Amino acid sequence: MGKGYKTILLKQHIGAPATALVSVGDEVRPGSLLAKPEKLGARIFSSTAGRVKELTDSAVVIEESGEQPEDFVKIEPEDEELLSFVRAAGVVGMGGAGFPTDVKLKLDLKNGYVLVNAAECEPLLAHNMKQIMEQCEKTLRGVEYCMKITHAPQAVIAIKAKHKREIEELKKYLPEHPGIGIHLLPDLYPMGEERAVVREVLGKLLPPTALPSAADAVVINVETVLRVAEAIEDRRPVFTKNLTVAGKLKRGTESQVFQDVPIGTTVGELIERAGGIDGEYGEIILGGPFTGHAVGMDEPITKTTGGIIVTEPFPDLKKAKLGLLLCACGGNRERMEDLAKKYNAVVTEVQACKQAVDVKGTLKCENPGNCPGQAQKCLNFKKAGCTDILIGNCSDCTNTVMGSAPKLGLVVHHQTDHVFETVGMEPMRYLTKSKKVEEEAEEAVKEAAPSEPQGGEESQEQDYVFRTEDGCFSIHIGSGRDIHIEVV
Amino acid sequence: MSISAEYAESHKDSPAVLCCRAEEGVILSSHNLEDPEIFDELVDSGLLNLKGALKIGEVLGGKLLKTCDSLTPLTADLVERSAESFAEEKKEAEAPAAAEPAAAPAPVQGSAPLAAGGTLKIHIGEGKGIDIQIPMGIAAAAAPAAGRSAAAAGQALPALPQAEASEKEEDILVRSLTRKHFKITEVRRGPETKLEGTVLTIREGIEKEAVDSQDIVLDLKIDIITPDQYHTFSNTIMDVQPIAVKEGEDELGSGVTRVFDDVVMVVSGTDENGVQIGEFGSSEGFLDENIMWGRPGAPDKGDIFIKTNVTIKAKMNMERPGPLAAHSATDVITQEIREALKKADESLVVGTETFEQHRHPGKKKVVVVKEIMGQGAMHDNLLLPVEPVGVLGARPNVDLGNVPVVVSPLELLDGCIHALTCIGPASKEMSRHYWREPLVLEALYDKEIDFAGVVLVGSPQINAEKFYVSRRVGMTLEVIGADGAFVTTEGFGNNHIDFASHIEQIGKRGIHVVGMSFCANQGALVVGNKYMTAMVDNNKSEGGIENEILANNTLCPEDAVRAMYMLKAEMSGEEIKKAEKKWNPSVKSQNEELISNVTGKPVELVENETSLPMSEKFKEKYM
Repeated sequence: MGKGYKTILLKQHIGAPATALVSVGDEVRPGSLLAKPEKLGARIFSSTAGRVKELTDSAVVIEESGEQPEDFVKIEPEDEELLSFVRAAGVVGMGGAGFPTDVKLKLDLKNGYVLVNAAECEPLLAHNMKQIMEQCEKTLRGVEYCMKITHAPQAVIAIKAKHKREIEELKKYLPEHPGIGIHLLPDLYPMGEERAVVREVLGKLLPPTALPSAADAVVINVETVLRVAEAIEDRRPVFTKNLTVAGKLKRGTESQVFQDVPIGTTVGELIERAGGIDGEYGEIILGGPFTGHAVGMDEPITKTTGGIIVTEPFPDLKKAKLGLLLCACGGNRERMEDLAKKYNAVVTEVQACKQAVDVKGTLKCENPGNCPGQAQKCLNFKKAGCTDILIGNCSDCTNTVMGSAPKLGLVVHHQTDHVFETVGMEPMRYLTKSKKVEEEAEEAVKEAAPSEPQGGEESQEQDYVFRTEDGCFSIHIGSGRDIHIEVV
Repeated sequence: MSISAEYAESHKDSPAVLCCRAEEGVILSSHNLEDPEIFDELVDSGLLNLKGALKIGEVLGGKLLKTCDSLTPLTADLVERSAESFAEEKKEAEAPAAAEPAAAPAPVQGSAPLAAGGTLKIHIGEGKGIDIQIPMGIAAAAAPAAGRSAAAAGQALPALPQAEASEKEEDILVRSLTRKHFKITEVRRGPETKLEGTVLTIREGIEKEAVDSQDIVLDLKIDIITPDQYHTFSNTIMDVQPIAVKEGEDELGSGVTRVFDDVVMVVSGTDENGVQIGEFGSSEGFLDENIMWGRPGAPDKGDIFIKTNVTIKAKMNMERPGPLAAHSATDVITQEIREALKKADESLVVGTETFEQHRHPGKKKVVVVKEIMGQGAMHDNLLLPVEPVGVLGARPNVDLGNVPVVVSPLELLDGCIHALTCIGPASKEMSRHYWREPLVLEALYDKEIDFAGVVLVGSPQINAEKFYVSRRVGMTLEVIGADGAFVTTEGFGNNHIDFASHIEQIGKRGIHVVGMSFCANQGALVVGNKYMTAMVDNNKSEGGIENEILANNTLCPEDAVRAMYMLKAEMSGEEIKKAEKKWNPSVKSQNEELISNVTGKPVELVENETSLPMSEKFKEKYM
């Protein structure tokens, strides 16, 4: 459906599609309830005023009326519990996962943490940072609501250290929000992965199947936090989304942020709003360069859409024998194969990173951002006769691949290459920055910041018993270093 | 790829190389280290130079002094070695909260000299909570006994070697087998099958009975090929068989066997469409270009061939009854010749040889495990016939479920295997091979070992069955109580799966094991395990390939000698050097040199295909 219509999908979250409550011909307004979940899911609302034009198994199509009202239909929670507002507003994880937030927050974290994911880890995306600059106080209030709901005494906002302005902005308001602190993240991919946030902030590495609650924490995206505040303070349901449009646009390749875009707006409309595509292009990515996938102009945006990126045309690899290195950080196999086709390459070998674990059909990384070594994989590609390889790895793994692939004569292509090329960024190859960030011990932060794990030196108590044939002499050393024992 | 703590422990003497970028100050653990198994390939590819690299055991727990990238060998200047690197690293799954070692360092220095010639040196740079207890009288005695720095590496002090219990030089004769040889100088056709002097006559018209004996055999021709006719075209050679018969009521494997010299049965054939009986790699062509003369399983130069050319029903060449029918039809003829031999006058015996099976209790007990084909179709073996390499009375090992069957060395040498193997002719063992099996002969005459016997195990088609039979092999050897074992196989590829599994099953029971197979280039092992450390390659071909020259790459005396030395070395606790990543024929020649240095005589080597006139087929396929 083109202009004048909004296609609102019934599945914009993890779980089952919501069941439509409207019929064709019904009048709707922004915030009108369109569908309700029967199982795990979230409510779906109209983002526009108009009439239900069409009802399918997967979507409600609304024909927009000429005039759009300023206001919206307020939610009516079943009671005054904060969590009921969240549920009534249909809030889901807006970082991309789309897990129903009311279900996620149904936790008792008496001694735990609300970890606010403000990593905004996918390159080019900028709407989270803009939100912090423009709606800092409301965001922080949202954090407090989440703390109240979960009884968490502390919250930590995880943000990349490079976002100095945003950190300054947060710090301005932190004194008024006791219990909320900041943790600085290195500028690496992936830092926004849920378990990566837990590991970075709390120093606990969870197995791929575990939820953050195993570390007495909940990880919640920074935009989701804002939507929680809107639900509670304004009784506003989720019918808009903040997002970033970037890439090969007439207005330049600089990322453009659009806030509160009505859900159901098409990719094409947003590209028009951003100035339109500048000439020939390769593909349109919905989401970020790492985890997004290619879509057409008619694709409607949802509660979980983060980015729309128009790329340069693909280089032609002229049927090169291409190896795919699958991992949890990059696209799934389908996406990688789609890219291989666009590169005009022949997929000759598929390998998966050692740390990629299949959890219910999705690859998860055992230790996001920390490489398990890739030399063997590169040797395997070479043996299979590949001339080129396509990877979607994190900064650390990509660096490791670069340690062996080029010397083996394998040309390395990264899944983000055509995106970075479009916006004039250096392609992802070698890692030159440290994985560690100096944490600031500022007044505002100190109060809530949890104790940092001691990554460095450690010694363990060890007992060694050496038995001889004739008897036994034992040496016990509680702790120590530089110990040599020799029988000469 | 990064390795686990246990893996690092088992490879603590391998070079330490970073698998990934690691930052300055990191305490090195197994997760930072690359798998040593791929170093050869990395070095070959120019990705790695191991010069100066510390061992894994030396870097664990150490501190990295400089941020380094992946595949950096950890040299002494990059690592500040920890005290723990001198001892075993024991990482608990959940490491307890780290104590800051610098918190309360108490400088301690210690040097406890011990009496009576030995010194126990202890140096502790810093530490706390240190107790050292040395019951003096005992420690003084213990120290010189240890005599090594092994203690520092966290290993148990070696025990004093126990004086070996005085061995009894026992030699028990178990049984013997005598072969009486009858010389043949001419084979001709005539009205009756008989032996007159050195002339063998085969009855005219016997072909019809042979054809009629098998439903799916359509035609059978007998060609008598004398040495001057070796440049004759033949369909693929399915088997080469000695013509032998038991004397009187003697049983296979003991008593007396009569055998013709200078004549062999050769089975060949096609299906009615002319398709060779063999799915890939067949030895059809001119005989003189496709037979590796003198191999245990092949004809010798000078042998007269009684060659059957059997035509079976179309498309039966790939099914189990097809090759079996060709063999059975041929055996109708062989059996009639055997009967003539059985009646032959004792005066025609030109020579006798006796094989004795001895046991040597007190010596290391050794078993030969021979993996034989059992996938079905033409991959079958008839076990334990009444007459040597006969058909009557034998059971196909496929029908026995390919489970291990124990035979005596003399049963093997007396033709207890009638082999149905015809594809991949260069590496397959013909019936005649077992009759002259070099490894069994080598073991039979070796007084330094206690040769217990031979275990035959079929190689099934299905993987689950492969593991089923290999577990039985392991259990059989456990019950035998073997100290050492050889595992031989024929062919390559599919059968290497169970070949490897046999070695694993045997090896994990603490039995030393040497594997023997054609590998080289084309037959490189597809699977492996940690017990496959001692391997002998039966390759003889120039290019390391299955070149379709009959019996070219089968087990020969030179291989048996190497394998025997290898097993003895293993059983006496010597370490077998790790194989090189790629096939390198010089490994074999080095080993031969080492052996001849000890024995004082050269290891005699057989010729290979380069000694034969080259066929057009060979030129096309392999040149």
